[in-house]
Amino acid sequence: MKEHTIPVFIKSIEKLTPQVKQFTLSPINMTKLPPFSGGSHIITYIAGENGFITRAYSLTNLPDQTDSYQIAIRLSENSNGGSKYWHESIKMGDFLKISYPKNHFPLSFKAKHHVFYAAGIGITPFLSMMAELRERKTTFELHYASKSEDLCSFYSLIKENFADETTFYFSNRHNKLSNETLLDHRIGTHVYFCGPESFISSFRNEAERLGYPKSSIHFEHFAVSFSKNNKAFQVKLTTGSSISVSKDQTLLEALLINGINAPYSCRVGRCGTCEVKVIEGEIEHNDTFLTEDQKNGHECMLTCVSRAKSEKLVIQLN
Amino acid sequence: MTYIDNLEQFPYPFKGNMYRYSNNSIPLDVPKSVDITSNYEEEIKLKRQLLRDHPKRCFQSLSHTLKAQWEILALVMNHLVNYYPDKFSLTKTNTLWTFRNLILNETQQFIYGDESTLLQQPLDFIGRHVQEDLILMSERDGNLYLDAGQLCFPANWSLAFDLGMSFREIHYPIPGFKEEKLDDRILNFLLRLEAGNPWGRNNWSLMAGNRLDTSLETFDDWGKGRKQVTAENAGDLVHLRVEVQTLFRLSRSNGILFTIHTHLLPLRKLAEKRAWLEQFYHILQELPPYIVDYKGLSLFKDVVIDYLKVQLEKEDAS
Repeated sequence: MKEHTIPVFIKSIEKLTPQVKQFTLSPINMTKLPPFSGGSHIITYIAGENGFITRAYSLTNLPDQTDSYQIAIRLSENSNGGSKYWHESIKMGDFLKISYPKNHFPLSFKAKHHVFYAAGIGITPFLSMMAELRERKTTFELHYASKSEDLCSFYSLIKENFADETTFYFSNRHNKLSNETLLDHRIGTHVYFCGPESFISSFRNEAERLGYPKSSIHFEHFAVSFSKNNKAFQVKLTTGSSISVSKDQTLLEALLINGINAPYSCRVGRCGTCEVKVIEGEIEHNDTFLTEDQKNGHECMLTCVSRAKSEKLVIQLN
Repeated sequence: MTYIDNLEQFPYPFKGNMYRYSNNSIPLDVPKSVDITSNYEEEIKLKRQLLRDHPKRCFQSLSHTLKAQWEILALVMNHLVNYYPDKFSLTKTNTLWTFRNLILNETQQFIYGDESTLLQQPLDFIGRHVQEDLILMSERDGNLYLDAGQLCFPANWSLAFDLGMSFREIHYPIPGFKEEKLDDRILNFLLRLEAGNPWGRNNWSLMAGNRLDTSLETFDDWGKGRKQVTAENAGDLVHLRVEVQTLFRLSRSNGILFTIHTHLLPLRKLAEKRAWLEQFYHILQELPPYIVDYKGLSLFKDVVIDYLKVQLEKEDAS
């Protein structure tokens, strides 16, 4: 399916910390961009040498601010194109395409109280969520961990707008955010985690262990974490063609580069659009969409994040 | 007074000689939620009469839906002025909006977001200017709920009864829906619906009579028509009823707008198109009993098949 996109240009670039840049995107054809719900992100499409570089970034501006969007990008040490390109090559005035706002990290409707846990650049989705809760007059709190005040993105914005709700944890001051604070929340609280994989899993596991209902635990991976141990593998399609997936490529990318019209949307293993049937082979599931039973069945997989455990897979596109 | 489509405008819904329940949605090439047909004035008059005489049957909303209702009003108004600039106009001066319906020669000024400046709730207001029924499904904690709607032309269902129900609860009575896991698949499809990428589908049934307002509440009035079908009157009495439906994700509230435009065509007119006559004859003959029952055709399906057969033979003879 061809997705409808919005053409925008880079209106300004601001350095928030030595590692994080904020980009302001303004519409070209429309006078206004669509408003969005708290927790929304966009996909950015940048024409690169080997096709489009596509990445998902949370919108950090206010949900009803529609003259421009803002995203904040941290330069990642082992960037495979995305953040490196944004940091080193993107200039003011550049054109790009973005998706309409999508929300895979919506606020709970039934929560009595919302608690956000952010590590590093994981703060980004929470800015619009807190703005929305403020407007709804619902209570919330933010626990935000960073290496130091200097490396803490949006520090002054948060101090200015959410001082009463926020606790900062700076590891250079030996003030570490511990998952023990999960014990302090009242029944009916919903918790939201965003940050590195290890941070999310530590808080998720502890919340589950403490007896938080699964439906009260929310989390978002803001990027696909590329394991250094990825292996290349072969995929055969039921239509006959064979495709090689290299170690630094996703199955979805390999399908698209080979001209196969494979479905996809979020590219982070969340929405399920890219699900395909697996006829043969074992799968390393890296998504957060399929149920445990579905994963163990080895009969379906999400091409955007999951890989082969065996050397070869046979898959069927619907 | 009749509300009958002419042959050229009629959205004939079938693609093959067999019909089963499925998620037959397709992406909309033109992102348009409303359609103005030659019956516009008649149908709007009828709608407003029904809303005046039976307000609770035709409009329902939960209190938390006002923001989403404003978003629907804005979306529908934008479509009206973009697709029918000679029939509607909209000027915005900050938050003061002036909406003109040039077909009915009506002007309404209001402050966007301020309910006290409209005589009705936003969804109820804009619904009075379009032939479509408008339903809001809210996304709350990973599920979809019918939280507001203006429904004047239901195909045998009740808005007051369904208000606040989840997607699964509403569709529970459809035979095979749960057993074949269609409910899960369609719910997942809807939850993945994204702003900027609307979808559409058609639904159909057969009606003994030409009423648009076939609510569950008035079944005693119109249901008995099913017993009055004969081979002689079937051509004029029985109508193919087709609903053109669209689905739009609302980017600000993260809800879904579901529009339903109902079209009626008497079998006599349908029979004028040889291809339609032949195909519909095959579909009815093959239709399994559980679908015949649920669509309310059991009492007159055989008479209709006889009628269609006679028409086919007539054409063969001439």
